Amino acid sequence: MAATEVQHKGQLVADDWGGGSFPFHIGHKKLGMWLFIVSDALTFSAMLIAYSYARLSSEQWATPFAFSPSILFSTVMTLCLLASSFTMVMAVAASARRDRKKARRWIGATMFGGLLFLGLHLYEWMHLINDYGLKPFELPRAWLERWPNASPLFGASFFAITGLHMFHVLTGVLYLGAVAMTIKRRTHEDVEISGLYWHFVDLVWMFVFPLIYLLSVDFNPEQMPH
Amino acid sequence: MSARFGGLRGLAGKQDVILNAICLLFAVVFLMLAAANFTWSGDFLTIDSLFVTTVFALLALVFLANPLLWAHERGYIRSFLAAEDELTAKKDAEPVHFEGSVKLFGAVLFGLLVLTVVEVALAYIEVGLVLMLTILIGLSVIKAGLIMAYFMHLKFERQSLVMALIPALVICICLLFVFFPDGFRLLNTRPPSQPSAPAGATQPTH
Repeated sequence: MAATEVQHKGQLVADDWGGGSFPFHIGHKKLGMWLFIVSDALTFSAMLIAYSYARLSSEQWATPFAFSPSILFSTVMTLCLLASSFTMVMAVAASARRDRKKARRWIGATMFGGLLFLGLHLYEWMHLINDYGLKPFELPRAWLERWPNASPLFGASFFAITGLHMFHVLTGVLYLGAVAMTIKRRTHEDVEISGLYWHFVDLVWMFVFPLIYLLSVDFNPEQMPH
Repeated sequence: MSARFGGLRGLAGKQDVILNAICLLFAVVFLMLAAANFTWSGDFLTIDSLFVTTVFALLALVFLANPLLWAHERGYIRSFLAAEDELTAKKDAEPVHFEGSVKLFGAVLFGLLVLTVVEVALAYIEVGLVLMLTILIGLSVIKAGLIMAYFMHLKFERQSLVMALIPALVICICLLFVFFPDGFRLLNTRPPSQPSAPAGATQPTH
């Protein structure tokens, strides 16, 4: 498909700004994925800005994540996602060499990274829900003693933003699984598009991790009442 | 002169010239209004005055865009993108559009890891919240740029794709910042809460 594009390049592609039938010189599927990514990026930025708004307009905000173990735990999650992004690049590179077998193997590694992230994240959620008693619109009692005027919206913002991101990771793993299963019938562009989506999920985490976790570090964890 | 502008043969060219002249006229009018606002308003550095100036300047820019593009197309303005055009043309000739090597992607991954470690280190040494937020956002934007440019292959795509996607996204995100002044207002207009609620007090759920 890419070869025919280049063959007809003379008629279909004008100069860099002239338009032609391929104004962006990418396939319609890839353009569609890019447009979806842009709109999805706006969804996530709207949620992160809503969280910043809630935090800005509150007298106090709970900052409950101790460096060890909470921050280190989420750092490991970040490393999982970064590593899976790298294996996805390797999958796209293998697919560009028409090496489908290797591409499938690298996609499998990517899915493994994604599943590891999901598992760790779910473990953290369960820890916050069961051990602390964090609810969407209610802070745990120990946190309220520590930060008496803290906004109860902590749970809502945390669960909404990380939950939406987790949903994207889950969708990405399923999507990659579908691509890996049917890789013999897939063009290089199909693999590349699934890679675009996966990198986007990684990209979003690069903003969620500092804003949600690193800005809520508990610098004096020994003061937390038990 | 009469040969160029007379008769039906030159109609298309004439049309362009007339439309561009009208656009140029509007642009000049708006530029003059922006300049006039500078003298009319007693105190220039007020929100209203700056807003009006910005709106006039933007309108002038909008009307200027077409004549400038037309002149650029005709070669009246020398293309400063000429060198880059050649580069892209050479790039587009390759059959499978994939660039980058394991070495390059490995280097990008290493950069991302280093930036992440710096971010996490900030959570270990205590700096102020505002400074920390600034550094974190700055580093995150760099990381996002790295991921988009190399992992998402945007650096090797046509420039028209980048220009179609990224500026619109950045502007839309910046427009969302309009809520932040309201956040401060909400904080300052709220009645002060009771001085430190007693320990174990039940907080009403909303």
